[in-house]
Amino acid sequence: MSLAGQMALLFVGAALINNILLTRFIGLCPFFGVSSSMSTSIGMSLAVVFVMTLASGATWMAWKFLLAPLGVGEFLYIPAFILIIAALVQFVEMYLRKASPVLYRAMGIYLPLITTNCAVLATATESAKPGFFKMNIDLGASLGLGEALVYTLGVSIGFGFALLTFAALRERLEAAPVPDALKGSPIAFITAGLLSFAYVGLAGWFGL
Amino acid sequence: MDASMVLKAVLALASLGLVASGVLAVASKRFHVEVDPRVEQIASVLPGSNCGACGNPSCFVTAEGIASGSLPVTACVAGGQEVADAIAGLLGVDRCEVDTVVVVRACGGGIAAARAYDYHGVPSCAAAARLAGGPLVCQWGCFGFGDCVKACPFGALSLDERGLPVVDLARCTGCGACVQTCPRSSSGLLSLVPERAPVSVRCSAHSKPKERKAACSACCIACKKCERACPSDAIHVVEMLAVVDYEKCTGCNACVEACPQQCIDIYGRNVARTTGADGAGWRAVAAGSAVQEAEVAEA
Repeated sequence: MSLAGQMALLFVGAALINNILLTRFIGLCPFFGVSSSMSTSIGMSLAVVFVMTLASGATWMAWKFLLAPLGVGEFLYIPAFILIIAALVQFVEMYLRKASPVLYRAMGIYLPLITTNCAVLATATESAKPGFFKMNIDLGASLGLGEALVYTLGVSIGFGFALLTFAALRERLEAAPVPDALKGSPIAFITAGLLSFAYVGLAGWFGL
Repeated sequence: MDASMVLKAVLALASLGLVASGVLAVASKRFHVEVDPRVEQIASVLPGSNCGACGNPSCFVTAEGIASGSLPVTACVAGGQEVADAIAGLLGVDRCEVDTVVVVRACGGGIAAARAYDYHGVPSCAAAARLAGGPLVCQWGCFGFGDCVKACPFGALSLDERGLPVVDLARCTGCGACVQTCPRSSSGLLSLVPERAPVSVRCSAHSKPKERKAACSACCIACKKCERACPSDAIHVVEMLAVVDYEKCTGCNACVEACPQQCIDIYGRNVARTTGADGAGWRAVAAGSAVQEAEVAEA
């Protein structure tokens, strides 16, 4: 398969077929926490795309040039990656505050939230640490930097896509005649389950 | 595991930490944003509990608003006079009078109120209110599961032996967090009142006095004795319920003494202990303990 084809497959596989929220159920807290309105979901999605891609690049390099050569990655990868992600979020926050106050106001509260978002850690680990990447594409023992970035971009855009779909559904649900007992969170969970069925239905496409 | 592995691990984490802190240190200098120094000062004066009573999402946003002049120095509802004075001092403006508000509970039912059914669900007022309107016969009464107590960011509320929330006025800031939480606050069970006129009617029922009396022994029976006793025309029975006009009330105590149901109370910071001044429902507790003592004596 050509390189471009392989990258496209990696992207689609990460975004839709192995959607991090709806087929793998990682990072469900923001999925339920900030999906009550479209505007907050857009802020969160943008922030996740931004931070996840940067975090994967940074952890990939930390693994390649620091943890793997020293041979300490097997047991040290979680604290090291968390440290990198937290520092990165801080940095991005400072940068945004200076460079784009408008964007900072819009993303403001979602940026710190991402530090503790397990989806970011999961994706960073999968793209950096050999043996964690589970999709059925033969990319050798570990991902290259370019592949890691394409994969993370796919995952984060899939995250945003699922979040926005769900937020749109929830906004409709606000006006729907939901039985009293199911109002609020219960109907949101049921909706998420049905939405998840739709995504699971994609399983096996392109052999992924 | 040999020592060199430990050393390598420490080295790896330390170097990562050093790089990260270095980058952040440089970034904090490079990307430094000038903030009005008064904002920090004002934020340090504000209570900092982010209660939201002022209508802003956090105390810091309020501080920014006060510093930029878009909010008045009295913007902090929870802080009251003290905080307003401090902020006025910081900004160099004249003092502003703040009408301090505190929360009061308009119910004396508690354990004395009749139950329509036994409730064994989640111990939360919100949950109880959803189950056929709650276990109380009186549809205005306090469930006594303490959702308001949990909601109070200042620890000013507590449940007592009567199963009713009592307010520690020394701690109450009038932020209204409890009022927003209470499922019965729409009918006035918890409400914010000015502190300078310290009389509260411990009943919010609007049913017929006869039905009310059957549902709860501590209710207002609309006998109008308080109305007649009041020298300043400040308390009136409106729609079968005694209501205080806080513009006229002087806190003279006449209605409190006149009420045969003991359902009117004086509150206020000048009253030594709020719980002591909160008389409604205590008769039921006393009657309950008398019954228990009699049972003990019989045994």
